Amino acid sequence: MSRTRALSPHARIVLAVLLDAGGRWSHGYELARLADVKSGTLYPLLIRLETQGYLEAEWQQPAEGGRPPRHAYRLTASGVQLARANPPGQTSTRVVPRREATI
Amino acid sequence: MPVFVEVLQTWPAARCKRRCRPRCKRGDGAIRCEAASIPDDTKALLFTLDSLCGLMPRAVASHLLQPFASLTGAGAPFSKGSTAMHILDATMRRPRALGIACVIGAVVLGVVYLAIAGAPMRYLGINAGALVIGLTMLALLGRTVAAGQRWTGGAIIVMAGALLATALLGSEAEGAARWVFLGGLAIQPSLILLPVMIVAFCRTRSVLATGGIVAAAAAMALQPDRAMTRMLVLCLTTLLVIRRDRHVVMALAASIAGFGATLARADTLPAVPYVDQILYSSFDIHVGAGLAVLGGSVLLLVPAIAGWNRDVENRATYAAFGAVWFAAIMAAALGNYPTPIVGYGGSAIIGYAFSLLALPKLAGLVAQVSSRTSGTTDGSPSDRHLLVALA
Repeated sequence: MSRTRALSPHARIVLAVLLDAGGRWSHGYELARLADVKSGTLYPLLIRLETQGYLEAEWQQPAEGGRPPRHAYRLTASGVQLARANPPGQTSTRVVPRREATI
Repeated sequence: MPVFVEVLQTWPAARCKRRCRPRCKRGDGAIRCEAASIPDDTKALLFTLDSLCGLMPRAVASHLLQPFASLTGAGAPFSKGSTAMHILDATMRRPRALGIACVIGAVVLGVVYLAIAGAPMRYLGINAGALVIGLTMLALLGRTVAAGQRWTGGAIIVMAGALLATALLGSEAEGAARWVFLGGLAIQPSLILLPVMIVAFCRTRSVLATGGIVAAAAAMALQPDRAMTRMLVLCLTTLLVIRRDRHVVMALAASIAGFGATLARADTLPAVPYVDQILYSSFDIHVGAGLAVLGGSVLLLVPAIAGWNRDVENRATYAAFGAVWFAAIMAAALGNYPTPIVGYGGSAIIGYAFSLLALPKLAGLVAQVSSRTSGTTDGSPSDRHLLVALA
């Protein structure tokens, strides 16, 4: 059973960066830099957000040859809602009174 | 492509990807490709190492759950459950591992009771130490017992000899000779040896084993120990109902005679604080103490209940195990006998851990798995994965 939990500061920042990107796809390294979050924190977070339906992800073929494809992420409609409801800078201990905020 | 990216091909999550694709396919591949796209080698290396640290716990968890993949994979009954559900289900299928979890839980609850009741700190330490000794014995003997089933009858005879020696040479109190002193501590051998003897007898019935049980009944009558002879009678009656044979009939007759002999002698031992009568008195101290004692006592029966429900082939064994500890709890409730595990006293703790030796390691996995999947049976997986997961 999922529980209502407060979003961590890192989750809020990553969501904010993804929200700023609009509908544009973002890559892991870029997200880590912009959000100033370590990749070891970022990827488990991205996996959770994607599992919960706040993110969509796809493999993108590189523009130039010889490079591997890259995994890209962007917010879904519910992810946009979540990001707007949880801007960065709020007290992290506040419990989000919404069932879907179960990160 | 930076050289270190090749390293990612061999890190645990990458290997995990090949084996547990549904669980972590999003993590490792994405990182590997992302790292390859970073032009600066140093930054790419740091990115990779940090990702490795972040995802390693997930990879380890996936690796630990790998033995249960056949039950937790896509299409399996628990595939939509949480990791906790998977661990719970796997635990319930491993009576011995479940027993370990239960005895640890019961000892912890017992320590909670002792702390609330204001028992000396030494008591708490002794119970904890007994748990360590019991689990160490279980770990050391667990492998040899599986290899030496044919020696069970002889082992029962040796243990019965130890009980007779206690009756004849042990320390006396108020006319009862139930204890031996080891390292300054009074130990009750019957609480350590009798449970495992009974459950082992249930699994390996032979003339030798029957002789051992008869000798144990005589030892209990000599000590005298009404609670232990009652335990024998209850367990053997249960066995008689489930699976009657001449060995059980003979052992039961001896235990009834032993019980009769203990009834003929008055049991004048007074109640010992933190040991006897605590099932009632704990609620007078604090409701938390009472619940700890009650909860710990119930925990002792969980392996028997779970095994009975999940392992039809070995129901007699679980019934005997449950009857042993139910009898011990009832004896503590009815008279001045030690409250097993939750009260002060290491003998019952060691005895409980020791009696887990007689339980099967795995409860009917072959039958269950073959009915759910095909060709994925696991003959005798180690409890190691489960213990690590529980830890």
